[in-house]
Amino acid sequence: MSSTTTTHDAHGHDDHGHPTGLMRWVKSTNHKDIGTMYLWFSFTMFLFAGALAMGIRAELFQPGLQFIKPEVFNQLTTLHGLIMIFGAIMPAFVGFANWQVPLMIGAPDMAFPRLNNMSFWLLIPAAILLLASFFVPGGAAAGGWTMYPPLSVQGGMSVDMSIFALHILGVSSIVGSINIITTIFNMRAPGMTLMKMPMFVWTWLITAYLLIAAMPVLAGALTMLITDRHFGTHFFNAAGGGDPVLFQHVFWFFGHPEVYIMILPAFGILSTIIPTFARKPLFGYASMVYATAAIAVLSFVVWAHHMFTTGMPVAGQLFFMYSTMLISVPTGVKVFNWLATMWKGSMTFETPMLFSVAVVFLFTIGGFSGLVCAILPVDIQLQDTYYVVAHFHYVLFSGAAMSIMGGVYYWIPKWTGHMYDETLGKWHFWLTTIAFNVTFFPMHFTGLAGMPRRIPDYSQQFAEFNMISSLGAFALGLSQLLFLYVVIKCIRGGAKATNQVWDGAQGLEWTVASPAPFHTFETPPQVK
Amino acid sequence: MLLSNIDSNCYNVTFKPNCSLTASNKRKVVLLLTIIPCCIAVGFGMLGAWFVLPFVGLEVGALAFAFYYVNSHECDYESISIDGNSLLIERGHGKQVSQQELNPYWVNVQRIELPSGELKLNLISHGKRIEVGRYLTRKQREILADQLQKRTGTFKQY
Repeated sequence: MSSTTTTHDAHGHDDHGHPTGLMRWVKSTNHKDIGTMYLWFSFTMFLFAGALAMGIRAELFQPGLQFIKPEVFNQLTTLHGLIMIFGAIMPAFVGFANWQVPLMIGAPDMAFPRLNNMSFWLLIPAAILLLASFFVPGGAAAGGWTMYPPLSVQGGMSVDMSIFALHILGVSSIVGSINIITTIFNMRAPGMTLMKMPMFVWTWLITAYLLIAAMPVLAGALTMLITDRHFGTHFFNAAGGGDPVLFQHVFWFFGHPEVYIMILPAFGILSTIIPTFARKPLFGYASMVYATAAIAVLSFVVWAHHMFTTGMPVAGQLFFMYSTMLISVPTGVKVFNWLATMWKGSMTFETPMLFSVAVVFLFTIGGFSGLVCAILPVDIQLQDTYYVVAHFHYVLFSGAAMSIMGGVYYWIPKWTGHMYDETLGKWHFWLTTIAFNVTFFPMHFTGLAGMPRRIPDYSQQFAEFNMISSLGAFALGLSQLLFLYVVIKCIRGGAKATNQVWDGAQGLEWTVASPAPFHTFETPPQVK
Repeated sequence: MLLSNIDSNCYNVTFKPNCSLTASNKRKVVLLLTIIPCCIAVGFGMLGAWFVLPFVGLEVGALAFAFYYVNSHECDYESISIDGNSLLIERGHGKQVSQQELNPYWVNVQRIELPSGELKLNLISHGKRIEVGRYLTRKQREILADQLQKRTGTFKQY
């Protein structure tokens, strides 16, 4: 006979199951599992690099040499920078992309799930190489995260380990970027045109493009360093007719887009959280997209503002000064749009929104101090002082790291199916924000007064501000342990999260159950 | 995507996977994505930093291959045709084509409501269970189930 039957699947959302135990993670091709692994990896690296920062601040607590030898101090600053950038911030955003991009565009997974797995597992040997470099003869690389020659050409075996680690991380980033680009272009749900994509997806699309354009430049620079060190070439060796400043040009041609690689996804997170808690659509969506693209384009024509003191023609100095200042225009558009989104909104201040508002405020301070550094005659005074340290921590800690924290609080109910502890979340926010400002705001003053960076000792006149900075840093470090506790507590239990989680949230990710099922959008949704 | 050709004598539907970028647009995107890294590499090559060139070459190759691979599956399809005593399910996956034939008089159309709200369709006959309509949205699967139900169940009544 012939008939039609309707049944309900008693085995859950999928009837082909998924692996369990350790192998679920090792062999996973599921974007959610891989996203989770990226986020845990990044948090582990964040704590490790943070511990290095605690060592730096302990040494700088008072003038003189207390705990750490000068060469070890330089190793700490170098590895703190390298690990925070390549091990903590970038993988965290890739974790967000893995979790959220397919959910936001209505795709079942990434375009190349096995490559996605490979991208993650490449991080592990790279991290081991970086961490193990502390234990080789001569200690870890100590020439700064920028690896300028001649120090990087003269350094020991740890420099090779760092270069190899960066090469591996570069491969991981490029493979990940290709995956994200093909996913976003090919796997959007029917009806989701480019100009209907969530801002987070847009910012990641542009970030992936920046990675595609910038990463081979870093790979080339590192390979030239290796050949200078071991194969007798003289790309950067002045004694052999090479040019050390060429390395700085090549490095910063990668390095400045890298700054935006670390901040554009943060802008995407802010553009998602602020409309939710203002209960209004994002103000000026199209202008946000164009501003993001403009920032990306401009990021390729400002690199030499990192090297004003190396000597370059006045025309070049003026070009890089003005082009750097020009970036404040699209960035200003973004800040204006976030404020306009909040304007007359029905706002509430849950932990993700607190982080977002703080980021808008603190990142703007970092942007303004960046404008100060862009002014050529001023930068010549401020080059390599603590003012620059204050500037980039206001941009990268309050801009990138605090956005990541806000993003975790925003999406963790969707990831775990539990609400986090709001009271502890707010404690974490206030402790982080206050401690961050106590740590880094005084650095503006010490920098303006001339205190040089990357030096373990300093003049007596900087003692008070350094003591304040160190106390703030210890509080900042400890408050991140509270973050770890809140996250673990949320994973282990808590109030059941609804599918929508936040009443003002918009987007496809809120149409699936909480926690998000192992497989989602196997049938593409229709976007109106 | 659902393409159908239905008349009184035969029934034929073809489904294609969701692909939000057409083949011609893929070429434009690849060109757009690769042209700037190539210009950058040539620029650095001219300045003496020629090691950037091979890395850009590798990367551009990988990117182009990724889009080529995705494009090669743009032509995947699933078609169901009923003609007389034959219900033919044909699937194209890359360059591979597979066919399964059932007798429509004996086919049972099974609808499985998943807890996620999705609907799964199986054609069951003589111990075979074949999932169909994997490229369709829930609403399209419902339409397909109704159409198959008419052409399997009602044939029996004739």
